[in-house]
Amino acid sequence: MQHLPKSLGFRMPAEASPLGFRQSPAKVLLEVDGLTRRFVAGEGPAVDRVSFTLGEGELMALLGPSGCGKTTTLRMIGGLELPDSGRVLLRGKDITRLPVEKRGIGIVFQDYALFPHLSVRDNVRFGLRRIPRADAAARAEEMLALVGLQGLGDRKPHQLSGGQQQRVALARTLAVSPPLVLLDEPFSNLDAAMRVETRQEVRRLLKRTGSAGILVTHDQEEALALADRIAVMEKGRVLQIGTPDEIYRNPATRFVAAFIGRSNILPGRANGMDAETAFGRLPLSRAANGTVALAVRPEQIMIEPDPDGPAAVVGREFRGHDQLYWVQEGERCLLVISGPGQGQGAGLPIAIGDRVRLRICDCVTPVD
Amino acid sequence: MRFFRTTALALAALAATPVTAQHLTLYSGRGETLVAPIIEAFTAETGIDVRVRYGGTAELAILLQEEGDRSPADLFWAQDAAALGAVAGMFMPLPEATLEKVPAAYRDTEGRWIATSGRGRVLAYSTERMSEEEMPATLAELTDPRFRGRLALAPTNGSFLAHVAALRVVEGDEAALEWLRGIRANRPVMVSNNTAMIQAIGDGEADLGVTNNYYLVRFQTAAPDFPVNQRLFPTEGDIGNLLLVAGMGVLTTSDQSAEAVAFIDFLLSDEGQAFFGGDVGEFPVTGAEVPERLDEISLDEVVRMAPEVDLNTISDLEGTLALVREAGLL
Amino acid sequence: MALAEIRAILPGRRMPAARVLFSAIGLGIGALMLLPLYYLLLRAFQADFATVWQLLTRPRTGQMLLNTAALTAGVLALCTVIALPLAWLVSRTDLPGRRVVNFLAVLPLAVPGYVMAFALIGLSGNFGFLNQVFGVTLPRPQGWWGATLALSLYCFPYLYLNLRAAFAGLDQSLEESARALGCTPREVFTRVTLPHLMPALMAGWLVIGLYTIGDFGAVALMRFEVFSYVIYLQYSAAFDRLYAAWLALILIVIALTVVWWESRLRQGVRYARTGSGSGAGPRRVRLGPVGRALGWGFAGLVVLASLGLPVAVLTFWMSLAPIGPILPALVTSFGQSLSVAVPSAALAAAMALPVAVLAVRYPSPLSTLINRLAFVGYAVPALAFALAFVFFSLQGARWLYQTHLLLVTVYALAFLALALGPIRSALYLARPSLEDSARALGHGPLSTFWRVTLPTIRPGVVAGSVLVFVIAMKELPIAFLLAPTGFRPLAITMFSRTSEGMLVEAAPYAAAIIAFSALFVGFVLRHDRKAEG
Repeated sequence: MQHLPKSLGFRMPAEASPLGFRQSPAKVLLEVDGLTRRFVAGEGPAVDRVSFTLGEGELMALLGPSGCGKTTTLRMIGGLELPDSGRVLLRGKDITRLPVEKRGIGIVFQDYALFPHLSVRDNVRFGLRRIPRADAAARAEEMLALVGLQGLGDRKPHQLSGGQQQRVALARTLAVSPPLVLLDEPFSNLDAAMRVETRQEVRRLLKRTGSAGILVTHDQEEALALADRIAVMEKGRVLQIGTPDEIYRNPATRFVAAFIGRSNILPGRANGMDAETAFGRLPLSRAANGTVALAVRPEQIMIEPDPDGPAAVVGREFRGHDQLYWVQEGERCLLVISGPGQGQGAGLPIAIGDRVRLRICDCVTPVD
Repeated sequence: MRFFRTTALALAALAATPVTAQHLTLYSGRGETLVAPIIEAFTAETGIDVRVRYGGTAELAILLQEEGDRSPADLFWAQDAAALGAVAGMFMPLPEATLEKVPAAYRDTEGRWIATSGRGRVLAYSTERMSEEEMPATLAELTDPRFRGRLALAPTNGSFLAHVAALRVVEGDEAALEWLRGIRANRPVMVSNNTAMIQAIGDGEADLGVTNNYYLVRFQTAAPDFPVNQRLFPTEGDIGNLLLVAGMGVLTTSDQSAEAVAFIDFLLSDEGQAFFGGDVGEFPVTGAEVPERLDEISLDEVVRMAPEVDLNTISDLEGTLALVREAGLL
Repeated sequence: MALAEIRAILPGRRMPAARVLFSAIGLGIGALMLLPLYYLLLRAFQADFATVWQLLTRPRTGQMLLNTAALTAGVLALCTVIALPLAWLVSRTDLPGRRVVNFLAVLPLAVPGYVMAFALIGLSGNFGFLNQVFGVTLPRPQGWWGATLALSLYCFPYLYLNLRAAFAGLDQSLEESARALGCTPREVFTRVTLPHLMPALMAGWLVIGLYTIGDFGAVALMRFEVFSYVIYLQYSAAFDRLYAAWLALILIVIALTVVWWESRLRQGVRYARTGSGSGAGPRRVRLGPVGRALGWGFAGLVVLASLGLPVAVLTFWMSLAPIGPILPALVTSFGQSLSVAVPSAALAAAMALPVAVLAVRYPSPLSTLINRLAFVGYAVPALAFALAFVFFSLQGARWLYQTHLLLVTVYALAFLALALGPIRSALYLARPSLEDSARALGHGPLSTFWRVTLPTIRPGVVAGSVLVFVIAMKELPIAFLLAPTGFRPLAITMFSRTSEGMLVEAAPYAAAIIAFSALFVGFVLRHDRKAEG
């Protein structure tokens, strides 16, 4: 993996992207600057010069495969881990070496970390020790109501379901009104149905309380659904930061292209804003020159039945509202999605073994 | 968390141990049940309070050695002369008037400790499995093959070691080693102490053994039909009939030596001696009258049958231990 | 999580306040533990080397070392045979009455060693209890198997407690997935369950092994000559501290080798709990009528032998003399026992906490060292340990000598290892995310420790304290030397009767030790269950 030019992957302001639909936040809440952490001397760093900024109330996802350093980055922001170098600034104040408890940053753990010896109510009140008792009690009830758990305050954590425990953990964290909440794989202990429901709930709660959030996840679907912006990480480095839309449509690297959604990689010769490929001359989403690899999303490829076509369908997966095809063209196997407006819509179901013709009708992204 | 708070308070309270008025501090290797009444009697008579640290004689002797000249003790009361010998250097010489109360054999040659009561070594035997003809006439006879597998022996017991030490003094190391080897050849049943020995004879594991005279009394009190009895070796002056003592000394570091000596004098008074001769089942060392007692062995008989061994001469513990080890009994 | 593992392996890179504090306390405790070693070396080098050599090279010394090894192996094996099924029955089956069994299984710890030995001896023989009451004569337990039996019957609870906790913490889905992968129940046990019980087994074995190596009471009554016996003899028959110091040092070397070996082995079998925390409570095996009968039979046999026998023997002795007249003395004695045992238990637990936290949360060569030093108090023969503190307090702190405070402190140091085991195990099971979470909610390291860590590992702290309490109730040599003069706890009162052969008179005190320990253990267990809700 080649290292990216700094201007591309780091601190790329949202407004720099022509496709960014969200404006840059008015106020910067958190600044992460060159965070580096090495666990084993002689090996590569687990986190390597990670930098980004987060706006007030913004929700960001750190996305990457396991071992990419996203959790370590989160722990360094939270103060559970100290960086070898780099800085963390919260509202302009350097908090890099500040102990966890002095940062005022909320953390929701993968296992929720509910205190088993305390009732649900006392769990929620746990962080409210600097305010008067009565106020703390009222605040706890308010938070329980906010997460829809009114009346369950006297239960012990183990008497709740996984989803309820998750919400207690969130209520406990939000009770102290932290400017920033860190969420470490918060949905991984929930079943699939609960996960979809809960993540919207979490987004709603964070937006409602005005807390910014950083979510660590390896699930791209979760990141796309929840975050305002996504930072994709691999091997300790941030590869790309952008809105979900940006990242999906305009992946910076082959890795990002493959990790977010599915991508076909085509070789081509670029010359400025377009490139020569096996599918003819295609427009590029950003300028490039020379031999390039081009990422093409499966839905960017049109498939048409053609008995004389150069390609053949070798696999098919029915996905409800659309179809997924594996198409062999020469030495290449391409992934193609045909939506309702395509192929099937034309009333021509394509079967395995059928000859087809492929066309690309959108701009493609040079990666590498 | 109440548990922690309570104990924290308790700990704080413990830090302040109250200091009390003048009293004698006695390290007693003798058991509370035996000696508490006589100590109370002393306090009642003299008004002197006695604080007692009860413990094993050996542990207390070692404690005194460790404490050295910083010892808080005024008096040490030991089960046996050997322990007294081990710490004799820490005792002050007792007044002549006190020393004269017992025969020279029952006190330190330099007058640093003195016997308070005597206990005879006796032959305990099974009333069920020992016939009159079989009885050994002397201690030496215990090595006879007819006792193979029938003897009980407590080789770690202080009284046994004292007995071996006396044997060395009277017969010499060679003969003592010979005797120990003979006992070893008879494959004795090894027991941990005198109580266990009597128990073993009662249980039928062994038929006879040499022990101190006062243990059997306890068993007979508990069960009158206990199938064990005891007697002296019928040979006058035989080493088997050795008379041992429990005794006491006053620490040089004591700042109340007058009171401490008064305590010893009280024990050696007729009242004190009667106490040991009676309930406790021991013998007086002052020649005082002995009240009626449970076992049939009289003091006169014990004194008549006992060998003459100066207890001062049997303090070589290391040598005795080495000999017992060499014979393979330890 | 791979990260957490890396964190665990790596020596910490930062030194948070809590770690500095705990390290300081740990070093203080470690220094106190070194005092006895220093003392023994001091005494040992006053000895004459030729004699030392002669003493050590006797063939009998070798034989006694072998006997010690054989006895230790026997006791560990028998304890395992008793404790493993018992812990399984109580924590993993629906055996009716398992709570009672749980309570009774801890109590043998309270039985004074001489009572257990006499109980076993009393079973047999002409004049034995069985013969007297039932007219049955059994062969007398003695030698290797007698000593093994006697020691096992009051040591197995150490293993039982460890195993019960391990069974409770064992993730049942592991066993179930092994079944799903085609393992027979026996294979599941040997390939999944047993490896996960290994840390608990080893922790229990360590404590029992060290006890066995050091014990001479029951061993002497059973006429089995082991190495500790030589030490005892040197002190008690020769009133000697110098050669005894040599022997004690050898015993400590053996014991510390065992400690070192155990911690080496433990490194290979550390099982951090992975995956999600809470999980379902353990599902219990349903016993059929036959299983139930077998379960009761086994538990009954264990309780009968370990507790029934001594109680029967004591009852028999007590029936021979009225208890009424000594009742006030008994109560006073009990109060004095309590005034030592309770603070000792609390202090030992309080000392064990930072040591355990260092081992589990901040592993480093330093914390390893501190954790091994923590075992010195338990490995040094009690008499030598007490002598060391006699020596040092007389040299440095006269005001402390023979005070309550010193006695309690020395007990806490001597039995620190007992408290350490359960607390360390509980910490291993406690999730670090709980502490991180409390920190993120604004609580400092100490507040977090007090409000989150301590309540979470509370069962371990309670178990550790109970172990120390029970053993402090019956301890002798340290009390002889360091208790305030005139102080007469139950154990000393009991001894001053047995030492004169007055078993009948001693019986009520021995019974009181068992009964009051039982009351305390019962109270703590009850209180603890209530607190857990």
